[in-house]
Amino acid sequence: MRRLLLSASAAWLVAGALFAQEAPRLTGPEPFNKETPAPPMQRQVTDDFRRKRNYPDQPPLIPHSIEGYALDLNANKCLACHARKFTEQSQAPMISVTHYQDREGNTLGGVSPRRYSCLACHVPQTGAQPLVPNTFVDMDALVEREPRGR
Amino acid sequence: MDVSRRTVLKAQAAAAAAAVAGIDLPAEAQNLAAGEDIALKWSKAPCRFCGTGCGVMVGVKDGRVVATHGDMQAEVNRGLNCVKGYFLSKIMYGADRLTRPLMRVRDGKFDKSAELQPVSWDQAFDEMARQWKRVLREKGPKAVGMFGSGQWTIFEGYAATKLMRAGFRSNNLDPNARHCMASAAVGFIRTFGMDEPMGCYDDFEHADAFVLWGSNMAEMHPILWTRVIDRRLSAPHVRIATLSTYGHRTTELSDQSLIFQPGTDLAILNFVASYIIQNGAVNRDFVDRHVKFRIANTDIGYGLRPEHVLEQRASHADEAAVSQPSDFDAYARMVSDYNLEKTAELTGVSKERLLTLAKMYADPKTKVMSLWTMGLNQHVRGVWANHLIYNIHLLTGKISEPGNSPFSLTGQPSACGTAREVGTFAHRLPADMQVNNPEHRKHAEEIWKLPPGLLNGEIGYHAVLQDRMLKDGKLNAYWIMCNNNLQTAPNTNNETYPGYRNPANFIVCSDPYPTVTAMAADVVLPTAMWVEKEGAYGNAERRTHMWRQLVNAPGDARSDLWQLMEFSKRFTTDEVWAPDTLTAHPEYKGKSLFDVLWRNGSVDAFGLDEIGADHENVESKRFGFYVQKGLFEEYAAFGRGHGHDLAPFDRYHEVRGLRWPVVDGKETRWRYREGHDPYVEKGAGWQFYGNPDRRAVVMAAPYEPPAEAPDQEYDLWLVTGRVLEHWHSGSMTMRVPELYRAFTGAVMFMHPDDAQKRGLRRGQEVRIVSRRGEIRSRVETRGRNTMPPGRVFVPFFDASQLINKATLDATDPISKQTDFKKCAVKVIGVAMTERGAE
Amino acid sequence: MAAIARAWSWFWLNPWVRTATRPPVTLSLAFLTLGGFVAGVLFWGGFNTVLEHTNTETFCTSCHEMRANVFEELKGTIHYTNRSGIRATCPDCHVPHQWTDKIARKMQASKEVWGHIFGSIDTRDKFLNLRHRLAEHEWARMKANDSLECRNCHSAQSMDVSKQNPRAAAAHEKDLFTGKKTCIDCHKGIAHKLPNMQGVPGWQ
Repeated sequence: MRRLLLSASAAWLVAGALFAQEAPRLTGPEPFNKETPAPPMQRQVTDDFRRKRNYPDQPPLIPHSIEGYALDLNANKCLACHARKFTEQSQAPMISVTHYQDREGNTLGGVSPRRYSCLACHVPQTGAQPLVPNTFVDMDALVEREPRGR
Repeated sequence: MDVSRRTVLKAQAAAAAAAVAGIDLPAEAQNLAAGEDIALKWSKAPCRFCGTGCGVMVGVKDGRVVATHGDMQAEVNRGLNCVKGYFLSKIMYGADRLTRPLMRVRDGKFDKSAELQPVSWDQAFDEMARQWKRVLREKGPKAVGMFGSGQWTIFEGYAATKLMRAGFRSNNLDPNARHCMASAAVGFIRTFGMDEPMGCYDDFEHADAFVLWGSNMAEMHPILWTRVIDRRLSAPHVRIATLSTYGHRTTELSDQSLIFQPGTDLAILNFVASYIIQNGAVNRDFVDRHVKFRIANTDIGYGLRPEHVLEQRASHADEAAVSQPSDFDAYARMVSDYNLEKTAELTGVSKERLLTLAKMYADPKTKVMSLWTMGLNQHVRGVWANHLIYNIHLLTGKISEPGNSPFSLTGQPSACGTAREVGTFAHRLPADMQVNNPEHRKHAEEIWKLPPGLLNGEIGYHAVLQDRMLKDGKLNAYWIMCNNNLQTAPNTNNETYPGYRNPANFIVCSDPYPTVTAMAADVVLPTAMWVEKEGAYGNAERRTHMWRQLVNAPGDARSDLWQLMEFSKRFTTDEVWAPDTLTAHPEYKGKSLFDVLWRNGSVDAFGLDEIGADHENVESKRFGFYVQKGLFEEYAAFGRGHGHDLAPFDRYHEVRGLRWPVVDGKETRWRYREGHDPYVEKGAGWQFYGNPDRRAVVMAAPYEPPAEAPDQEYDLWLVTGRVLEHWHSGSMTMRVPELYRAFTGAVMFMHPDDAQKRGLRRGQEVRIVSRRGEIRSRVETRGRNTMPPGRVFVPFFDASQLINKATLDATDPISKQTDFKKCAVKVIGVAMTERGAE
Repeated sequence: MAAIARAWSWFWLNPWVRTATRPPVTLSLAFLTLGGFVAGVLFWGGFNTVLEHTNTETFCTSCHEMRANVFEELKGTIHYTNRSGIRATCPDCHVPHQWTDKIARKMQASKEVWGHIFGSIDTRDKFLNLRHRLAEHEWARMKANDSLECRNCHSAQSMDVSKQNPRAAAAHEKDLFTGKKTCIDCHKGIAHKLPNMQGVPGWQ
């Protein structure tokens, strides 16, 4: 079962290589010196819909607009809703407990300063279709492939 | 280091027991996967991306990477990654991954005008060998070249340098790190006699002030930025000052941002030095004992083609690197020119902010960490800029101690470990040695067991020169590995692209994905990535760290190392070495290059049994010995005992990297300092032992303007660079859906008033035109970058917006590093009528 | 007592006063009445014209303190450029529309003229240091009048929650429509950069 699946993905990958030209935005204009029109700027997806993470360790994506949100030494708008002390009022998901821990792993009395730059790890998404599919397989899918009981 | 991870649940235990006993469980326990099913194999590795060198843990199941996270045990990042690092699991799985070699063939034969077709490795190598031999025979070693990478593993860089220099006797090997760190590397060697920072990341936790020069750390070194912010928000007296030509996420998080006229950073640096001298902040004791003064040649040109009028006019274009001995008083006189009024006027920075900056450096009690990257290095006077920062730290003695640290940040994951330390530059050998030094060549010949006099002493073509030589038809057989130069080189329309498509040239490109460069090459070789091979990187703080092969590359993809070693099998010494050498040393006659380079008793000294049963290693299995260990130990012989000491190979697989010099098992955190660096004699305090007189150089250099400034017609500065979500040319990150959707396409950041003046609004399509080429993009007047009027910023990750068609191939004449931050463009709206006509 | 009597007689013996209080000799009643009326209209019109001129973005940004600091910051926000192109200019938010409050604000503005002449925020750094106090003034004003200037354009009653994001709709239903909060309570920093928010409730 596993072998079948792996050879199927291999076939898909080979097929992908021959169809490389189908992603000109990744392979460049053909010919090189041709000027290609720039596609319109994409809009952000701000439907508040929480997307499944690819693995537990992945930082969640931002499902809402963050346009104009302050993230500087004066103010951190993200924490105004997502820090533990504001979550009841905002009903926003609390930032994970890891964000309250220092470099050594000790939990601090407040948000750890090393976690201040939210946008280094959490990003919003536009509605754009990926230029090429990605054949990453979720670990659940790998587990479910195996027959139950032995 | 492998750790099996299991979730311990009562239901799981019950399920396991029940399964064995053949009993059906109640429904609610059955929707949990249990036991072996969810075990992942976790191993350590450095992140694939920037020079920070975060440690990650990689989770593998069924031969696939399914998860990664920041390694809690890695000193660099202690469990943090940036968004790119958090998506490492997906970078190898783009659907258009190359799995078979491609070559332009028509009727079964190579034809440069044909389309790329799948071929076998043998067919590809046969044609490559044929072309290489033809070119070597017809034109000699100067006509073959290789463009390598600061993202090569240490083993790959070392194998490449051996193949090119000892095999083909050519020094035309340059890495993409030439575009990235050359100014910094040359600055180090001219100041200290040795490359690489003297401080380490521990400086973050000790500094009282951070000064960032041309570095957007919040986006480009995010995890190091967390260490800066951690320090800043934990200690109320700490201050951050950032100098940039435009506002960005880092300036938002700085106490002081100094936005200056492009190119005038040199003036600010000299002003700070002048302030220090005039306010008695010079540490005289330190200067008298550890510093010497020199004055650089000025008016050194811009590294353009020699026929260019700017080069003709420059009085020292041919002697750009020359400097004269000088003294403190002459230096003080030179910098006194840069007084407060003149500097404020030239740079556009307010006097208050200049003074605050100068005071940070001048106060003897403030420990200052200076950090810089591309704003300073990708600069037509990048070497001078690096010198001027060292000048400030040397005048005040604020160097080589915790918190006092001029720290050159590295862009790529192994520009240090591979490109610089291994020496994959056109002028370098391993361990900071130079090809044009006969003593150094002799030493390399000894370690490499080559006949004396074999190595070529002529400096080869550097990156920009390689493109020019390709265009001019002087470089004819060219191998590009692990970079996307057709997208990232400057002035690509006029130099790089004609070079690759020149009918006289044969271009090979090794890459995992079909990039812009691959699509213009004649042969494309599918390459293994990251944890598909055993590898080692060296990060910005001299930390060498290693990883094991964890998964297999898809299809027929093979690592750069495999390719280099396999290719060498097709040559014999008779075909590539000078006949005189072989006459004088007949024992080398008729030998395969593979045997000379790899089966030489050093590289093949370690058997497959040393790999460990649990680990895959495609290259070693292919060649019959532990190639990575052999290459590493032979390479380490260059540096051990000479201040570049590396630990034994196996040690690196046990720990999360070690900072060299590693002497007696102990890593060095602060070099050149007594008590921290074992090479410094007792009682010396500081010793810059890279130079014969053990003194560091303070170099006097003035402000000189950039190569191309805005004028009447091309009235805007163009600055290029990166964004957080995408790595370099986007070949990996644009194929990860979450990263692609986080920043979907390149845009042109512009001030709203500039847009208004040109009748433009946010989101409209524009043409960005320079004297060299143009692209089309979209106007962005908001967002993360705040451009001052007169400047625009375009990132280079988007293969459909090749901004390097517009950039200028001016370089620092000393380091040969391109200035990607300053050239002149005009912006014109694309009218709807124009588009309707298409 | 005597002083008042002396002032009184000085006043009525003054030749200007005697001329003004005598009935007109040459000019007719109609002329004076209508003339007075027209002069009044001209004066009132002129006064308001000048007043309205001080209520324009051009006027506000004629001082470089405003142009270089808060106006630049506005340019990156939604009140400057957005989908429908509806823009807010300085007076829309900062000058009350009601006449009496407007005049009161204009009288307060003399302090700003003083500030301009004596350079209280004439450098970027001085502005940054004073930003918190300036912001506090505006927040207090908006809190006191229930964010009247916001409500001049954004009517809570006219909000179509189906067009808002779930998060925004929930927040408006919970706090705005119930009258628990006013716009400025949550939407601080919507048009200009925020000052140091330490100590401001709801921020850290």
